[in-house]
Amino acid sequence: MKKLLIGLYAAITILLMIWGYYQAMYVAPNDAMQGEIFRIIYYHVPSAAVAFFFFAISLAGSISYLAFRHNSPGKAQIADAWALAGAEVGVVFCTVVLTTGPIWGRRAWGIWWTWDPRLTTTLVLWLIYVSYLLLRRFAAGPQMQTLAAVLGIFGALDVPIVYMSNRWWRTQHPGPVFGGSAGSGMAWSMARVLLWNMGAWFAWGVFILILRFVIERRQQRIAADEAQRALEE
Amino acid sequence: MDQAAILDHEFLIAAYIVTWVIQLSYLAWLGYRWRAQKRQTAKSARSRSGESA
Repeated sequence: MKKLLIGLYAAITILLMIWGYYQAMYVAPNDAMQGEIFRIIYYHVPSAAVAFFFFAISLAGSISYLAFRHNSPGKAQIADAWALAGAEVGVVFCTVVLTTGPIWGRRAWGIWWTWDPRLTTTLVLWLIYVSYLLLRRFAAGPQMQTLAAVLGIFGALDVPIVYMSNRWWRTQHPGPVFGGSAGSGMAWSMARVLLWNMGAWFAWGVFILILRFVIERRQQRIAADEAQRALEE
Repeated sequence: MDQAAILDHEFLIAAYIVTWVIQLSYLAWLGYRWRAQKRQTAKSARSRSGESA
């Protein structure tokens, strides 16, 4: 039954990805100013939205870990696994944002990169979570998970700054697609395609997030078994 | 197709390829970790059954 559900979810995700790709490449109209290069938005914006969502999961996991670590170690380990999975998958999606953005920028602006507030805060966000992953990979000792949780909480503080950056400051980056001021946003024929692609990338992201969570939980059990055996010896 | 449209198309394809290379590389790495853990679990189960025998 479990395998059937996983297979069904994977099939729905693949169908959504194919549908989203078809809509983005063949159905959505070209932008009047930018032409075809505009279609990068259908991968770029959903990746950013999914990265923000996973960093929020990492934040919730980090807070829960700190709350449970003394009274409920079992729950704390589950929370820590969610925090790690959210941060790692978030970094993958943030990497997509930071590579597809400059490819678009090279054609639209004529430059790969500029120290614009939106781009800079996104790069800082990526660097914070990469440092979180490096801390988890190379630090040892009982305080590692606590330090990582604190860093995860501080890292998440950058997410609203990234989101609001092109509302608070004058940026070269295009204005908000959703929730911007009057006159911003896009036509429904384009927004509809963007929503399909958001759904598809969200489904894909949740799939790899759960896979990463399961791997981390198994790793925790292996580490606990090894520690138990070392004590017995 | 004029030169600008061809370049637009090439940049668009490059962005899509980069996206999928990143995503599928990560998925492959997760698959590698999954298999390595399975091997490790089987190995420790074998050594444990050897100890008890």
